[in-house]
Amino acid sequence: MSFRNLTCLGLLAPVLLCAQSLADFEKRVTEFTLKNGMHFLVMERHDSPTVAFHAHVNVGAANDPANASSTAHMFEHMIGKGTASLGSKNFAMEQKALAAVEEAYDKLEEERRKERRADKTQIERLEAGLKKAIEEADKYVEQNAFTREIEKSGGVGFNASTGLDTTNYFYSLPSNRTELWFALQSEWFRQPVFREFYKERDVVREERRMRVESSAQGKLIEALLTTAFAAHPYRNFIGWASDIENLRAKGAAEFHKTYYVPANITISIVGDVNTAQVKQWAEKYFGPIPAGPLPPRLYTTEPPQNGEKRVTVDTEAQPFIAIAYHRPEGTHPDDPAIAVLDGILSGGRTGKLNRELVEEKKLALGADTGATFPSGKYPNLFIVFMVPNAGKTVEDLEKAWDELIEKMKKEPIDEAAVKRVKTKLRAGFIAGLDSNSGLARQMAEAHVALGSWKKVFTELEELEKVTSADVKRVLNTYLTKKNRTVAYSIQVKPEGK
Amino acid sequence: MRTLLTLFAVAGIAFSQPAYKQLKYPKLGEVKIPDIETFTLPNGIKVFLLENHNLPLINGIALVRTGTLLEPADKTGVHVIAAGTMRTGGTKAKTGDQLDEQLEAIAAGVESSIDETLASVSFNCLKENIDEVLGVFFDVLTAPEFRQNKIDLLKMQYRSAIGRRYDDAGEVNNAEFSDTVYGKDTPFGRSIEYETLDRIQREDLLAFHKRYYFPANVRLAIQGDFDKAAMRARLEQIFANWTVQQPPVPEFPKVTHVAKPGIYVGDKKEVNQTSFSVGHLGGLLSDKDYPALEVLSDILGGSFDSRLFRKVRTEMGLAYSVGAGWGAGYLNPGLFRVSGSTKSESTVLTFQTIQQEINRIRTELVTDQELNDAKEKVVNSFVFNFDRPSKTLSRLFRYGYYGYPKDFLFTYQKALAAVTKEDILRVAKQYIQPEKFVYVAITNTDQLKTPLTDLKLPITQLELKVKEPKKVVSAADPASLAKGKAILARMQQAMGGVEKLAEIKDVVMSNKAELGPMKVNQKVQLLLPDKVRQEQELPFGKVIAAFDGKSGFLVAPGAPGPQPMPAPVLKQVGDELFATLVTLLQSDTMAGRTVNAIGDNRIEITAGGGEAAKLELDPATGLPAKLIVEAMGPQGKMEVERQFSDWKDVNGVKFPFKTVILQGGKAAGTTISETITTNTGVSIEEIMKK
Repeated sequence: MSFRNLTCLGLLAPVLLCAQSLADFEKRVTEFTLKNGMHFLVMERHDSPTVAFHAHVNVGAANDPANASSTAHMFEHMIGKGTASLGSKNFAMEQKALAAVEEAYDKLEEERRKERRADKTQIERLEAGLKKAIEEADKYVEQNAFTREIEKSGGVGFNASTGLDTTNYFYSLPSNRTELWFALQSEWFRQPVFREFYKERDVVREERRMRVESSAQGKLIEALLTTAFAAHPYRNFIGWASDIENLRAKGAAEFHKTYYVPANITISIVGDVNTAQVKQWAEKYFGPIPAGPLPPRLYTTEPPQNGEKRVTVDTEAQPFIAIAYHRPEGTHPDDPAIAVLDGILSGGRTGKLNRELVEEKKLALGADTGATFPSGKYPNLFIVFMVPNAGKTVEDLEKAWDELIEKMKKEPIDEAAVKRVKTKLRAGFIAGLDSNSGLARQMAEAHVALGSWKKVFTELEELEKVTSADVKRVLNTYLTKKNRTVAYSIQVKPEGK
Repeated sequence: MRTLLTLFAVAGIAFSQPAYKQLKYPKLGEVKIPDIETFTLPNGIKVFLLENHNLPLINGIALVRTGTLLEPADKTGVHVIAAGTMRTGGTKAKTGDQLDEQLEAIAAGVESSIDETLASVSFNCLKENIDEVLGVFFDVLTAPEFRQNKIDLLKMQYRSAIGRRYDDAGEVNNAEFSDTVYGKDTPFGRSIEYETLDRIQREDLLAFHKRYYFPANVRLAIQGDFDKAAMRARLEQIFANWTVQQPPVPEFPKVTHVAKPGIYVGDKKEVNQTSFSVGHLGGLLSDKDYPALEVLSDILGGSFDSRLFRKVRTEMGLAYSVGAGWGAGYLNPGLFRVSGSTKSESTVLTFQTIQQEINRIRTELVTDQELNDAKEKVVNSFVFNFDRPSKTLSRLFRYGYYGYPKDFLFTYQKALAAVTKEDILRVAKQYIQPEKFVYVAITNTDQLKTPLTDLKLPITQLELKVKEPKKVVSAADPASLAKGKAILARMQQAMGGVEKLAEIKDVVMSNKAELGPMKVNQKVQLLLPDKVRQEQELPFGKVIAAFDGKSGFLVAPGAPGPQPMPAPVLKQVGDELFATLVTLLQSDTMAGRTVNAIGDNRIEITAGGGEAAKLELDPATGLPAKLIVEAMGPQGKMEVERQFSDWKDVNGVKFPFKTVILQGGKAAGTTISETITTNTGVSIEEIMKK
């Protein structure tokens, strides 16, 4: 650590304050791990009587079981459904009713498994039985009790998100109600109740319609990912319609048992709290959750790509193009150089894409790159997304992009641009420290993805070491035709007279 | 059953912790309301300063009293282009590109923007760069250069964006609802179109800046890591010489449009989900009933626990998103709107459910619990209005700009705490008016299991197509118009005379067409002027297209019965009908059409809807030899040329029995007519037979 701090202080002073802010922040962060393995990061900040909570579970869509894509995502939706003590009119009765739902569903599935030999009348009867069982269980539901309790306690920003690698649950409370978060979140982690599971499944199905099936961009991204990844589960964009329509509560329970073990969860709390008190509550509320083995590792590795891949999506919408190149995982030493390359290409108005494709050649209405897509834990993609101007085609843009990249490979990388990108990334980082919730999220993510919350700060130092030679190297290594997937979204007018 | 055990049996283990209900909360720590200094510079700029030393950053914003509502209708978009190029077009000393390099090298930003009722220029930087960045900020605010290259660039980008306007169903839903309620011909509902964009010139932008950007019309707020006294001195120095004056700016226009209630449907064949909105105008923030309306809309659709969310998403699983809001503006009414998305087939059911919930809240008192939850929510989360000092600054700054009292937030909170169940019922009855509702559905009409007519409301089709730029029309003067008429008269004469042409009521043709490698048998029935049926035998089956002057349908192999004609096809059919020789030749007697000579043997015929076609006369025969129109191809606009030959007499009028078609100068096909007959008595019923 001391070496890194020195780097920060001594060499980078012209730009600013990283050492000062790191030291200042370090002093205010406490981390501890409960006996069951659950990890806590706490930062006291008393500017206002509010506190932000961020619970980060180290599981995501990449861990979805085969045949059951969107399982991880269902949890994001289930948190609103509550717990034993919150969300039920009579939990004992509701439990029985929920068990009956699963039994009825098992019987139906048993018949359906006979496939062509299945008895149609029998299936109809069993479907009616399942419907009845669900209606019975619904009688005990006290709807949205969990979210209501949070909202009326002054909670803001209550939400959850599911990525390929992580699932996050977060909101902020007035700081005098900190204990409420402990009570609610601990009970849910320990024992989420999968009530109204099959209705929420329809909502997730609806979400897929919105994000993919009714969206030209969504269709393009799904086609891109499924083409770029032949094997790795990063190909799973939002789950398949047919999987979603058949998800089971008992499958979710199995998933919970495997992945929602305390040692797989990191909690980050930032705001007007007393660290000693937080420790006490952590022990009291989360301590009793039994420890469990860490979940299995994901072994599937994307095999090497042997040539350029291409895919086209026909839609009624105006055209887009996306090109994606395989790149290594976020902890790879090349990561900072790839981030700088990303900035040189598309950071701000001076980014090469804006200068050349948008302003000079007027080919693109907009163009952007992303260094890490769709997620960073495993080898992923460097992506460029471009929107042609009226009268220009995706082919025009692909050609212009290729020229731009090949020219960059031949010419020296602009030192001023490298410096500008580093400065901007640094300033962006400082601005991000302003909000409790943003900081809570960053710290939890860094702890899990990079091994320590301190990486939030030290990553900047890695960035500072990037040279123009590094940028050139990653450009030559990864941005090659053989290593990429090109995806077109093409406008096809409906046939008519 | 093993998983069931783990699922449900753990609940049997006694939880030793107190239930959430027994929690006792300490008193909330004190909210710090930051100290904001306000003063007026000698030149008249009102300034608000807030010191905030949390991070080594400074940012500021100048508000300028103007907005897109003040744009002239024929130049809609002029203020948007002006605000957009104020920064990118650079200053006297530096081009926009040079400013980009300068600012990005120090991770700073200076930006300019505009909305309906305010314009702004803002900056952000690290504190050590404040002097440099304030200099750029001042130059951009007071003396933008509006360089032509950036104006051209932004105009071209808006042109591209206009072409993409109808691509995203969710965005279309938002825009169509808002524009329909406010009125598409009003400053609140107008859109930037190719034509209005084309009229915008650099002089307009300079005039915009001169008219609105003067000290008395500007207020400035700066917050961050600085010393107030030093900042004040700095500002006094920088702004000392900016003393231009202008008369006070005009008032913003008021909302006067009354929208026609009913359902507005936009058809989008590639979606499988309906994006919908239901509602009407909202109100003002200053309305005395605004707090009660806030509680009302919160209970109806403002949260994860609202009635609509519970009913539509949680209970019925119909939607991923559904919500309601009472929109209240500072100066003009916002929108009361229930919106969301649902699978196409449950569109009508969702609308009916919304109607029921609206009806319920207008006829029954809300429950005590609903009222208390809604109030508690506001009271308990009130502290988040102050969790960052900058929030207080931006609030006070806006209140001042819009003429609202400084303590508006506090009076609002007090009024909200006093709202009763009876108040909610009263405002629901008074302000929520279902008979005035505008329903917007952007949907795939083929997938609506229950027809929208079940809602028993008037239905209006939304045309989801961009207003094409007026075709480039050649200059006309009395001489060229007279000449145009003469050329047309010669064509009319050659074809059989005006009277004979006027007698034609319908035309029926049997054609053999060669379109590239494909041979097609066509039967065309034309009921003049605007009804048509075309049956084509294609290699993969029979395709029928029928159009009754307003709407039409398509029958294609594999499709489940007749499908309504989508907007792009309707446009195509309209263009084809315009280019029908028999009617085109009678343009001199049709209202709104212009016939203009554009050469010795060429005329251009244009109509009010932007349609245009060119006809070339064969000097030897007087017959039209070529017909040229512009059409949209896969690569954008292109010319389509028809060359006519093999003229034969049909009931005293000459018709070309052979047509060669060129697209973009390349041969695209040939049509040979086997028979052409006129005045067959074909009826509208036959044309539209399914």
